[in-house]
Amino acid sequence: MRAGAVVGLWAVLSALFLGAASRFGAFPLGAAREAEVADRAFRFLMVLASPVVAAVVSVLVYALATRRGRGDPPEAPAYVPEHPAVPRAWFALTAALCAYVVYNPGLVGLAEIRGVPLGRLVARGRYAAVGLPQLPPGGELVVRVRASRWFWQFEYPEQGVTSRDLVLPVGRRVRFEITSTDIVHSFWVPAFRTKIDAVPNLTTYLHVTPTRAGSYEQSVDLRVQCAELCGVGHALMASPVRVVEPEAFEAWVAQQARR
Amino acid sequence: MRVLAPVLKGILYGVVGYVLGGPALAALVRTLGGSFPFDLELAMGSVLGTVGWLAGVGMWDVWARGWFGLPLRHWPEEEGLGRYFRFTTDHKVIGIQYLVTFLGLFFLGGLLALLMRWELMQPGQQLLTWNGFNQVMSLHGILMIAVAVAIFLGGLGNYCVPLMIGARDMAFPRINALSYWLTPPVAVMLLGSLLVGGWDSGWTAYPPLSEVNAPGQVLMIVAVVIFGLSSILGGINFLVTIARLRAPGMTWDRLPIFVWSVFAASLLSFIFTQYLAASLLMVLLDRVAGMSFFHFARGGTPVVYQQLFWFYSHPAVYIMILPAFGAALEVLTHFARTPLYAYRWVVGGFLGIVGLSGIVWAHHNFTSGMPDWMHAPMMATTEAISVPTGLVFLGALGTLVRGQLWLKTPMLFALGWVWNFLIGGITGIFNADVATDLHLHDTYFVVGHFHYTIMGGEIFALLAALYYWYPKITGRMYDERLGRLHFWWTFLAFNATFLPMFWVGLHGMNRRIADYPAPLAGVNFWISIAAFLLGGSFLVFLYNFVVSWVRGPQAEANPWHASTLEWQVPSPPPVENFPAPPAVVGPPYGYGMAGVRHAVLGVAGGSEE
Repeated sequence: MRAGAVVGLWAVLSALFLGAASRFGAFPLGAAREAEVADRAFRFLMVLASPVVAAVVSVLVYALATRRGRGDPPEAPAYVPEHPAVPRAWFALTAALCAYVVYNPGLVGLAEIRGVPLGRLVARGRYAAVGLPQLPPGGELVVRVRASRWFWQFEYPEQGVTSRDLVLPVGRRVRFEITSTDIVHSFWVPAFRTKIDAVPNLTTYLHVTPTRAGSYEQSVDLRVQCAELCGVGHALMASPVRVVEPEAFEAWVAQQARR
Repeated sequence: MRVLAPVLKGILYGVVGYVLGGPALAALVRTLGGSFPFDLELAMGSVLGTVGWLAGVGMWDVWARGWFGLPLRHWPEEEGLGRYFRFTTDHKVIGIQYLVTFLGLFFLGGLLALLMRWELMQPGQQLLTWNGFNQVMSLHGILMIAVAVAIFLGGLGNYCVPLMIGARDMAFPRINALSYWLTPPVAVMLLGSLLVGGWDSGWTAYPPLSEVNAPGQVLMIVAVVIFGLSSILGGINFLVTIARLRAPGMTWDRLPIFVWSVFAASLLSFIFTQYLAASLLMVLLDRVAGMSFFHFARGGTPVVYQQLFWFYSHPAVYIMILPAFGAALEVLTHFARTPLYAYRWVVGGFLGIVGLSGIVWAHHNFTSGMPDWMHAPMMATTEAISVPTGLVFLGALGTLVRGQLWLKTPMLFALGWVWNFLIGGITGIFNADVATDLHLHDTYFVVGHFHYTIMGGEIFALLAALYYWYPKITGRMYDERLGRLHFWWTFLAFNATFLPMFWVGLHGMNRRIADYPAPLAGVNFWISIAAFLLGGSFLVFLYNFVVSWVRGPQAEANPWHASTLEWQVPSPPPVENFPAPPAVVGPPYGYGMAGVRHAVLGVAGGSEE
C-alpha cells in the first residue's frame, strides 16, 4: 500500500518530467558542431535526472500528505525492522545509473565533442585532442589567439592576417592555438558551447567547426568572452564573432591583407 | 569594560606585534640600506600581530607561561558574560563564540551579496566601480567560505559533540580555545585588506592575477593560512575527542549521526587543509621573495596552482556539507519519531564521500589546459560521488516514509534541505559531465549549483540545527510562528533567487562580472529583487533569535522529547555537562522500540538512578 502509492506517484511525475525534459530547447544560439553535442548531452542529462527528481519529490509529497503525525510530539510508530534488500537494491540501482551516466553522456559526449574515438580518450598526449581525424593540408583553419588584459587578438598565420574581431568560415574545422601574454584568461564563445583557458607560458588548443552563419549584431552569443576572472576589465573583455560563408571569408581575408 | 579587558589587551598586543613585525622592522631594514617590500611588511606584521593578539587575549597567561616554567595565571572562574570574551576552554562557550562570530560574518557576507545584486540589477555601471565590484565579490566569497567551513564544526560541533557522546569536554580544551581565538584576526585581516587596496582575484586567488594585484591580496593569503591552521587544529581535536572520549557503552554504531558526520568532516579538514596553505604560501613567496612558481614573466606554471588549490578546495566542500548532512538527518529522525533508516549505510555513505573526495579535484580544471587524458577519469570519480550521497538521501527518505512527521520549524528546514540539495546534486552532474561543463564552467550555472548545495544544503541544515538546538543552547524557546514565517519566506525567496541562475548561466552569463549583455537584463532584475527578499527574510530570524534569547519562555530540558544524550541534561547544560559519566545502553534513536533506552544518566557520586 505504502510502496504502491509512492511508486504510482513516481510513475506519474516521471512521465511528466520526462515529457518536459525530452522537449527542452531553451538553449542560446548554437552555431557549431560542438554546440549540438553539448546541447544533446544537456538534454539527455535532464531526461536521466527526471526519474530521480520524481522519486524524491514523490516521497516528499507522500510523506507530507499521509505521514503527518498528530500530537505534541506525535506518537512514535512501532518500529518495524528494515528489510535488508531495500538499501542493497537502492545502492545497486544508483550505482548502475551512475555508471550509465559516466558512459553516456559522459564518455560518449566527451568523445563526440572532441571528435575522437572512445578508445583514445585517455591516450597520453599534451594539450591537444589526440586521435582527431587528419584533414588534408589546408583543410583546417588555424587561428592563433592571444589574450591580454583586457582584449583579444586573432592571428591567421596561413592568411597572414591579424584582427581584433574573430571571423570564421562556415563548415571548416578551426584549430585555435591559444595563449596569454600576462595572466590567465579563458576563451569562450557561448554559441560554440566550449571554452579553454588562455595561460601564459603555455599553448592550449580548441577545435571548433562552425555550422551556421551569424554575427554578434544578430546574437550576443556570438562573442569571445573572457570567462576567467582577470581583474578590472574582466566583464568587458569580449570581442565580436562573425561566422560567414567561405567566399565572404576569402573576401574578408583579401580586404584585411590589403590594409 | 572589565568584561572586555582580555579582548582589549589582545588588541593592544596585536597592534604592538603588527608594528614591530611590520612597519618597524621594515623601517630598520630600509635605514640600514636594505630593501623591504610592502607586501613583506604586511605579511610579517600580520603574522606577529596575530601572535601578539593571542598572547594578549589570554593564551600567554593561561597556557604559554607553563612552557617556560612560570606559574599560570587563571582568569576568574568561568561564569557570566565575561567568559565569552576570554580564552575560555569550556566547549559550550567556544561553540557559542564560534556561532555568534560566524553568524555575524554570514550577515556581513550577505550584505555584500546584496551590493552585488544591486549592481547587477541592470546592465551597465550603477553602484560600484569595476574594481569595487571585484573586491566586493572576492570578500563575499571568502567570508562565506570561512563561514561555511567554521560554523558547523566550530559552532555546533563544539557545542553538541561532547554532549552527544557523553563527554565532559573536548579532548584538547586549550587547543580548542586556540582554534577559536585564531579566527578574529582572520576576520580583521580580510576586512582590513580593503585599507590597502583590497584584492580582486576572488576566493580562489588564481595566480598570476593574485601576484600582480593590490597588496590586500597578501592579507588575504595570511588570513586564509591562519584560518587553515585553526581548521586543522579543530579537525584533530574532533577526531581525538570522538575516538577517545565516548561514554561507556557508546560504541561506534550507537553514535548519533551528527557525530559521525563531524568525524568524517574532521578527517577531511585534518588531511587536506595543508594543501591550501601550501598553494597560497607559494603565491606569497612569488610576491615577496621573487620566486617563480606561477609568475608569468618568470616562467611560472599557473596551472599547477589550480591543481594544488582544488586538491584542498574540493574536499573542503565536503567539510562544509558533511556536518550539514548529519544535522539534517538528526533533525529528520527526531521529528519523524522513528529511528534513522539504514543508519549503517548512511555512515558508509559519509565514509565513501571522504574516500572519493580526494580524487575528484580536477573537475574544476576541465577547461584549464591540463592534459586531456585527465578529463575522463576525473569525470568518472566525480560522478561516482553521487552513489554515497545517494545513501544519505536513502536515509532521509526512508526515515520520512516510515515516520510520523512533527512539522516544527527545524523539521521544515530539514525538509527544505532535501529539496535544495536534490537540485544542487542534480545540477552537479551537469558540471561534472565534460561535454556540458565546457560550456557551463565559470558561468552562473555554477553559481546556482554551489549556492544550492552550500546555501540551500548547508545553510538550510544549519538553520534546522539552530532552531533544533536553540532551547538547549540558550535555555529559552524561540517563537514558533516566526520560525515558520522565516522558513517559508527564506525557502521561497531562496529558490526564486537561485533557480533562474541556471538559466542565465546556460545563456551565456559568466561568473564574477559587474556587467552582462543586455538580453539578460530581465532575468537579472528578477534575481536581484528575489535576492533582496531573501536578505529580508533573515531579519525575521535575527529578531526571533535575539528577542527570544532575552525574553523567550524558559525551555524545558527536552522540549523535543528527543532520545540523544544532550537532551537528558538541563537547558543550558551545567559547566561539567554530566554529573557523572552516563552509561550508554542502546541505539541512539529508539523511537517506537519497546523498552529501548539510549542511555542511563549517572548521578554525582557514582551510583546509578
